[in-house]
Amino acid sequence: MPSSSDRGRPGGGAAGPAGPVLPVGLRASVRAVVTEADTAAGMGSGDVPVLATPRLLALAEAATVVAVGPSLGAGLTSVGTSVALEHRRASPLGAEIDVEAELTEVDGQRLVFSFIARAADTDEDVVIGAGTVERVVLDRERFIARAAQKPAVDRG
Amino acid sequence: MTEVRAEMVANVWQVVASEGESVADGDTLVILESMKMEIPVLAEGPGTVTKLAVAEGDVVQEGDLIAVIE
Repeated sequence: MPSSSDRGRPGGGAAGPAGPVLPVGLRASVRAVVTEADTAAGMGSGDVPVLATPRLLALAEAATVVAVGPSLGAGLTSVGTSVALEHRRASPLGAEIDVEAELTEVDGQRLVFSFIARAADTDEDVVIGAGTVERVVLDRERFIARAAQKPAVDRG
Repeated sequence: MTEVRAEMVANVWQVVASEGESVADGDTLVILESMKMEIPVLAEGPGTVTKLAVAEGDVVQEGDLIAVIE
């Protein structure tokens, strides 16, 4: 089968798309103001009008994407595989949040980030949340095509 | 005889080799899918595939037999 999967390393390890090795320490921040749509009530993840935990995670993932996006090779992307998140403090409507992500580990095509979310509308260091995000680097088109295919028929 | 076993829990995405086929060192036998990644399982030496123990769509556990090469 002619396949770019032949890029695999001997021993059956994960086959990473050929891209530049990303340096640990890449980082980026994203900033957002809490609107109705960002709240637990607005997202359906809860019923109170404060920043939703999944919205915080989305901001963290967005920061990881910004951190490494420009450094990925052409045709490559990264997708999330695992997260750990502490949401430590509630943020009301109108609060401004800054989420910074940093690449802390590179293991083949697997990337590990840490992130920290802070209140951006105060001079004090108010940590709203923190955690880790893992992503893997993939060939964008190949991944989309694979995802679109149905799993093999159930063979019992 | 070499037994090729799964190194992790994964779905069998594609079976590339077939029983009776001669393979060279580094040839792809099957492609697993785990954590959104494609993970090729390669022959670690030349030989003949005498057994393919998985089919596309199977779920393999760590240590499960995938193929036998003699």
